[in-house]
Amino acid sequence: MRALVIDDERLARKELINLLSQFDQVEVVGEANNVDDAKEKIEALSPDVVFLDIQMPEKTGFDLLEELDNVPHVIFTTAYDEYALQAFQVNALDYLLKPVEQKRLGEAIERLQKKLSESAKKHDETSAARQGNKLGLEDQVFVKDGDRCWFVKLSNVRLFESDGNYIKVYFDTFKPMIHKSLNALDERLDEKSFFRASRKHIINLSWVEAIEPWFNGGLVVTLKGGDRIEVSRRQAARFKDMMSL
Amino acid sequence: MNRIRLYWSLQVLGWLSFALINLFFVSLDRGISPVQISAFTSLSVFYLLSTHAFRNIVKKYGWLNLKFSRLFVNTLMALAVLSVLNMIAQIMINLIFDTLDPEVDLRPVVISVNIFVSFLFYSLWVMLYFIFHFLDNYNQSLKYKAKINEIQLNHLKSQLNPHFIFNALNSVRALVDEDPKKAKLAITQLSNILRFSLMMDKKRTIDFENEINTVKDYLNLESIRFEERLTVKYDIEPVSFDFKVPPMMLQTIVENAVKHGISNRLKGGVIEVKCHEGINDDLVIQVKNSGQLKNQSISKKRDREGHGLSNTIQRLKLIYGNRASFKIYNSGSDFVITEIKIPKQSLTLG
Repeated sequence: MRALVIDDERLARKELINLLSQFDQVEVVGEANNVDDAKEKIEALSPDVVFLDIQMPEKTGFDLLEELDNVPHVIFTTAYDEYALQAFQVNALDYLLKPVEQKRLGEAIERLQKKLSESAKKHDETSAARQGNKLGLEDQVFVKDGDRCWFVKLSNVRLFESDGNYIKVYFDTFKPMIHKSLNALDERLDEKSFFRASRKHIINLSWVEAIEPWFNGGLVVTLKGGDRIEVSRRQAARFKDMMSL
Repeated sequence: MNRIRLYWSLQVLGWLSFALINLFFVSLDRGISPVQISAFTSLSVFYLLSTHAFRNIVKKYGWLNLKFSRLFVNTLMALAVLSVLNMIAQIMINLIFDTLDPEVDLRPVVISVNIFVSFLFYSLWVMLYFIFHFLDNYNQSLKYKAKINEIQLNHLKSQLNPHFIFNALNSVRALVDEDPKKAKLAITQLSNILRFSLMMDKKRTIDFENEINTVKDYLNLESIRFEERLTVKYDIEPVSFDFKVPPMMLQTIVENAVKHGISNRLKGGVIEVKCHEGINDDLVIQVKNSGQLKNQSISKKRDREGHGLSNTIQRLKLIYGNRASFKIYNSGSDFVITEIKIPKQSLTLG
């Protein structure tokens, strides 16, 4: 797997790269010393995993994740941030405490390896859902709302709803907000899995439970869990096309 | 328990001496007789019982918690009642011992004088009683304040930032391969800091030298971490070493300066520690770091650092009262200065 090491301290990067060099399955493709640097390198190198320090100058590791469209697998490295790590609600993410223990690092890499091969399999099954670099159901996004953070697999997101300059992301019982426009998001999402129901909504097609006709040739879609979303007349025809055989 | 015993000893001793002194003066005039002894003893016993009854009323109705004016009026009325009762008791005692001379003892003038004299005795008793309570209360509240003060200080004591310790250990680990000599030095410095923070914990103030050495070790370690991003300068007048300072206080300020001036800035910056004697014979400590203070950053509660500085302010107040000061301000457009002034002596001993 290809790894990028992100830490503002040279010695900390050196130490981690040194530790990683003992694992044959890991190839360190680069290092970055701040968030902007990291963002460029993630986009250029598209690593499988980033080792990410949380405390960095000006922008934190969380800020980096918020700025990324497509979040690679993340293993946090931190000296002492119980508080920051507790912020995570769902998805047991992996984190390493500095100074890093070789054995713990080995376990984290092993777990990640498993995850990577699983999601590779699924990617194959969904017949290469990724076209170009669109976000498919197996991809994950990072969502931060106030003090709480989530890594959410897109297959668990049933609905995106625009709200001013923000988008509400509906999954489980949560609906945190992300700072993005619905149009920008729509372009990034794989259209086989997600459908722009109206100006305000994007729905996850695999969550659709029932469809009813509505006024003016529109439709109302009921999602698993009970959310009812109106499909505008313009989109209704496209929707019928997509949903019918 | 002790207080009750003290009360009774004072009561018995006091009224016993009252009886004895009276008997002594009477005996000078008329010699001593069993009737006189019994009469004065009885009167003493009455005083004892009546003042005790008064005390019970004071306690039962919580007079000591009343406002002063209310207490004064209540006490005055009680004194009047007690004096009249005492006068009646004197007549009864005279009757019992058959020493009553209606011609003399029942004259209005004699009765008034008797009332007035017993009024004086009761007043004396009440004064002693209230003064005792007042002093006792004062003492208790002082002790209480000192205790609270101590507890607060302990709460405010700054501890070493765990984030720093583990980051330092992490860079030392990398340094072991790169520069073993430097790594050894770093381990010594880290153990100095740890020892200092464990040992100085209990003390109110310590020698300036101890504090500045810790700060130097700390900044050395941070230099290893931040490398070219951290530049350190010192300007310390020798007179500073005559002062005592609260432990870990300069350390906290420097830590805060590193956080804002170095670790939160991509390019890092400068930390400058200046210590000199001020015009009022106090120690002026200035820590200068790169960056600018934003107005909002103070009001915005950002956990640790805001906490650290307000802790420092409170500690200074508790140890030195109003004689110490704390300031943080922008110096030009590139620097922030944190300044504390510490007087030679602390307010309370300890």
